[in-house]
Amino acid sequence: MRRSHTSVVERNRVWDGVFETEPYEAAWASEAICFVRTLDASGPIADADADARVQISPDGIHWCDEGTQLSLAREPGVTFAKVAHFGGFLRLVGEVPNGAEIRVIVYLTLKA
Amino acid sequence: MLHDDFDKGLEGWTALIGNYEDSQDAVLPGYRDLRPPMLSNATMWDTGSVGALDGVYSMKLATRPEEASMAVGVKRVTWRHAGPIQLEAYVTFKPEAAELRLSELDVRAFGVLFDLQDANERVMPHLRYLNALDGAPVGRWQYKKDRVPMADIGGTGKTRSHFHLSSDGWIDLDADPQPLCYNEIATKQNWHYLRVGFDLATMSYTSFQCNDRVYDVSGIAPMVMPAMANLWCMLNVAFWVETDLNKRSFLFVDSVMLSGDWEG
Repeated sequence: MRRSHTSVVERNRVWDGVFETEPYEAAWASEAICFVRTLDASGPIADADADARVQISPDGIHWCDEGTQLSLAREPGVTFAKVAHFGGFLRLVGEVPNGAEIRVIVYLTLKA
Repeated sequence: MLHDDFDKGLEGWTALIGNYEDSQDAVLPGYRDLRPPMLSNATMWDTGSVGALDGVYSMKLATRPEEASMAVGVKRVTWRHAGPIQLEAYVTFKPEAAELRLSELDVRAFGVLFDLQDANERVMPHLRYLNALDGAPVGRWQYKKDRVPMADIGGTGKTRSHFHLSSDGWIDLDADPQPLCYNEIATKQNWHYLRVGFDLATMSYTSFQCNDRVYDVSGIAPMVMPAMANLWCMLNVAFWVETDLNKRSFLFVDSVMLSGDWEG
């Protein structure tokens, strides 16, 4: 049976401006889905870009883009990004437009 | 009762959240952002992966890079006999190695707790190692016996909460400071042995040991409160770490053993 684990890396967190999730170690996993659940959103976000990027790291300190992006939901809903072959550390970064806010729960769903 | 070495997963150790009804906003502030556990192979930027005390992975608790941020891992079981129990574990603590500095005063504290209930009382033995406070070295083990008042959560009258990990109320164990093996740079980690004994019959401490130091626990008491409505025979175990400045602090936990001294 393949091992799996879901970690809630943000809960009821308001993103405004630049955001980064905390480094999460997942060297044991070979695939991950990052789910972002928007609880609510406000401000000038409807037509703006509000994308997040998956980043990976050799040490949990220095980061680079993995290449995968996801759009954040502008109203209550869930979006996701799938990644594999990511090494040891994962996080999600991005920027919410000036004056806008998104309140989120972020899950990392990991599988060996 | 259990032995977890984290090589097969987190094995029941999970994040701690405060109680809520109807809205996440009902969670008491101290509980809103306790960071979750993860499996770590302890990879360092300069020397690569350390692995764990036993095997590849240990449970890592990592704070945010915000002063007083905490991370908690909790495992929840129940007890079947009101007798002596003993928790043993190996732990090591470090700040994030983001600076080429010794950084030995960056971790504020780490600790271990039980959360117990019998027919009459909820009992919460808490012990922490206060490594440093506001940048000054301390190096003392502390316990907590006084608690903050319960707050009602939501409107049903069924849910209450108190933040038992709050920074107030900690009392030094009556002993000299115990310097631990921080080692010489932020990427070297040494495992430390911990042992906590507690008697579920008398609801009192029976032993506490950290490495070569065995403490006299005859004069210390846990937090005690009236039994709550849905916690019968609860036996929770938790570890936590708190950071002293705007930098991540880590606690690694491996080879946790919880045993009971009875037959059957």
